[in-house]
Amino acid sequence: MPASRNRAFWVFIAIVVIAHFVLHLAIGAKENAPDLLTVAVLLSARRTRGSVAALIGFFLGILNDGLSPTAFGADAITLTIVGFLGARSRDLFEGESMLFVAGYLFLGKWLHDVIYFLLPKTEVRGELMQQLLIQAPLAALYAAGAGIFALLLYRASTGER
Amino acid sequence: MLDFDGTRKARQRDVAIAGAVLLASLILFFLPPAFQAPIRTALRNSVLKPFLMAQEQIATRRARSVDVSELRAQRDSLSALVAAQATLAEENRKLRELNGLRARSGTEFRPAEVLRVGVPGAESTFFINIGSAEGVRVNAPVLAPTGLLGRVIVVDEHMSQVMDWTHPEFRASAMTAEGEAYGLVEARRGRFREEDLLALTGAPFHLDIQPGRPVVTSGRGGIYPRGIPLGTVIGIEEADTGWRKSYLLRPAARPDGASHVLVGMTGASVDHSRLFGMGVADSTRRVVAGSASDSARANAARRASPSSPARDSARTDTTTAGAR
Repeated sequence: MPASRNRAFWVFIAIVVIAHFVLHLAIGAKENAPDLLTVAVLLSARRTRGSVAALIGFFLGILNDGLSPTAFGADAITLTIVGFLGARSRDLFEGESMLFVAGYLFLGKWLHDVIYFLLPKTEVRGELMQQLLIQAPLAALYAAGAGIFALLLYRASTGER
Repeated sequence: MLDFDGTRKARQRDVAIAGAVLLASLILFFLPPAFQAPIRTALRNSVLKPFLMAQEQIATRRARSVDVSELRAQRDSLSALVAAQATLAEENRKLRELNGLRARSGTEFRPAEVLRVGVPGAESTFFINIGSAEGVRVNAPVLAPTGLLGRVIVVDEHMSQVMDWTHPEFRASAMTAEGEAYGLVEARRGRFREEDLLALTGAPFHLDIQPGRPVVTSGRGGIYPRGIPLGTVIGIEEADTGWRKSYLLRPAARPDGASHVLVGMTGASVDHSRLFGMGVADSTRRVVAGSASDSARANAARRASPSSPARDSARTDTTTAGAR
């Protein structure tokens, strides 16, 4: 991959991360806004080694945990695992088609929520199974949709296929 | 084709580094809250600060856009009220002087704007735009005009984090407004935030508290001042055979609707019952003075509620594993 294209990709990831914090912190949109942080980790994991993806997940997770008084570190653990598995998924699945990426983002975000809610100290509203089997897939669908939209914008602006 | 051994070594190194990162995150997760707090503070005051400041700006702009005529009407009503009460206050002061009584300790509040964040783990909390520089302290009660919203758990220089009553760790020492039953109030979470209710636990078994009766803070826990409305009784939740009863309460104030709050600055020793027009029975006022008999009754309430701490939830920067 040419260096300029590589740079453009990381700028795109940075924009996705900033968009996440703008939506969730500056605007306070809560669950009305998609989880773009997981999307950023999953997309970057497809282009890096497992250790680098884990590190990216760790640092972004720590940032997200900065405002959590009771479960500090939970998102760092979750995104570290998701990042590493995302990078390793290249060994199993090759492909850059939109349908594949949508499925990848959906499964990645669902896995994120499952790990997060199974950790101790995290708050679960209502039944755990309902959260994992209804709320989490819906949130995953929303995140995958937002991720695909962002990726389409990126590909349109860089001409990348 | 890559050399097999080289690839395997590289993969092993990759897994080892990822494992070390995971271990670091686990250590961070299980660190005692006292060690986590400085890291959180550093993050809030560095990388996350621009985003929090942006929300503060948005909240300020939103507050400024309130209809001026509505504000003017409220100001005029308050001016009339203050003017009418000024003579009474002066008369009261003179009478207290004549009787050799000290001035009644006042109540002091600071208004603050509510800032909400939508990150996981911060669901039952919100931020306010005042902090230690404005005199806010940890455990200061946070109130809406209709009742208690929560308490301050983290204080930065110009910003504080508040735990609202929907948090699983919320506890408040409470009593019925007439002072006939004492207990602990804690959250009962529904499937959605709108369904969240409060519950008065550890109430005496022999008493029947009728629906519609107001429940207020008792001032016993050392956190919340006495007389702040918590909610009104909806009905009985549970009757533990021969020991205690729990009642469901309709909350007096809901955190999701609050855009501005009042932060108590005077500590737990003051009495807010008149402020909220609760008319708490005079006989219960001795409770706050902390007589021996009251302590005994507080201990009895504590014994009656073994699953919950009898005091207001006072832990700061806390974590509780078994919240689920």
